[in-house]
Amino acid sequence: MTQEISSLMDGEAPAHEAESAIRSCSASGEHKETWLIYHAIGDAMRGQTPRVLALPEAVIEALKAQPTVLAPRRRAIDSTFARVALAAAASVATLGVVGWLGSQGGQGDTSPVIAKSSSPIQPVSNTTILRENAPDVRDYLAAHRQQPSAELYRPVNNRAPAQAR
Amino acid sequence: MRALVSTGGRRWIPALALGVACGAQAAPGSDPIAWLQRAAEAARSTSYGGTFAHSNGERTSTVRITHVNVSGEEHERIEPLDGPPLEIVRKNDEMFCYFPDAKTVRLDRRVTPRFFPAILSPTPAAIASSYDVKLGQTERVLGFDCQWIRLDPKDNLRYAQRLCSEINTGLVIRAKTFNEQNQMIELYTFTDLKLGRDVAKGDVRSIFEARVKRWVTDAQPREEAKSVDTGWAVTNPPAGFEKVTELRRTLPGRPQPVSQIIYSDGLASLSVFIEPNAPPRMAESSSEDGTTTFFVHPMGESLVSVLGEVPLAAAQQVGRSVARRP
Repeated sequence: MTQEISSLMDGEAPAHEAESAIRSCSASGEHKETWLIYHAIGDAMRGQTPRVLALPEAVIEALKAQPTVLAPRRRAIDSTFARVALAAAASVATLGVVGWLGSQGGQGDTSPVIAKSSSPIQPVSNTTILRENAPDVRDYLAAHRQQPSAELYRPVNNRAPAQAR
Repeated sequence: MRALVSTGGRRWIPALALGVACGAQAAPGSDPIAWLQRAAEAARSTSYGGTFAHSNGERTSTVRITHVNVSGEEHERIEPLDGPPLEIVRKNDEMFCYFPDAKTVRLDRRVTPRFFPAILSPTPAAIASSYDVKLGQTERVLGFDCQWIRLDPKDNLRYAQRLCSEINTGLVIRAKTFNEQNQMIELYTFTDLKLGRDVAKGDVRSIFEARVKRWVTDAQPREEAKSVDTGWAVTNPPAGFEKVTELRRTLPGRPQPVSQIIYSDGLASLSVFIEPNAPPRMAESSSEDGTTTFFVHPMGESLVSVLGEVPLAAAQQVGRSVARRP
């Protein structure tokens, strides 16, 4: 069946084969996973952000088992952030934990980390992931240091500004 | 009567001037606390200008800074050289932050001295209760003779620091932070530096101000920098950490201001943020990068976030002891 799914993806499956492949993807969890993984791999190989929104547990577990790839820190990152970031890394295919703290003063040099990764997942902007799931650390950093970044400043335009000088 | 006062004044002025001059010039011998005192004072009272590099964990940035002291008033201009253009022009505690792209100048009041080389609190004597302070080697750094000051924490709730104090002025021109494994996790270092009369006083003026015709002024941060009673307290701060202030800050995307309580042990500082827990988060989480630790502690309907230049253990101790003030 994996061959048929592959053919279906490539648009090379004859009508009856395609129908059976689509049926099996809808009916079987295993075949659905195969479908998702093939798409993720295909997207990654084309250098695109994989569109898949829910990668199978197995991939997330495999990523979790390699914390040094994603988070070369002196201490393991705890609970939710690791889960959120890793899940996000798997689904949105981004660097996650490494970059999100570092993005305060620019993007940071995260490329070496990617280079070490054996995963075909490609990095995208590291600012998109945690925003909806966790507080954005950059807001707190700017408030703590009283050193607002230009990017962070943008929302001020939405406030009622005082008169021009 | 007037003559009498005036005569008394004349007698005192030269003596004071001499005293100040000696304070800036004479190295304080072998007392490490006196070296700290002098380093803290030098960041405020001396003139310096140059570029420094800052590495913290994954991040590296370069910043141009000019600082002069005219008749006891501090004037400073800071320009981060990476990323979108911005500059901070400061007169004493009044900060003008210019964002030329957004044509916006943001007014704020400095709450804690957080900018290198002003990294020490004005009362460094308190530091000795949390750190073992010793003098290290003297070394030539950036062409200046320097005295290393070594600060080793007395517990695991702060990091070890090494400050390189220029011998003539006392100014810290390089600062390193080490974790428990003795790995350097943060570095500030000037890459070029002028001291004293070599600093052009005009360099503290804004260079962006003239580029925009009509600046939009945002004075809200300055209003928010005033101390308020947030109604929250940290019941078990790590030894040596004293509350600096508490205030309410507007953060992007929040419908209402977030409570912020700032603590410092004279060297390291941390901020505690308290806001409504929405959407609700159930589990604690944390992250560390260099010296920056971020710890999130959901507390029912409130969310406590601690961010500071402290080890995770200290952030946890603070975050978990936040309570409503009775």
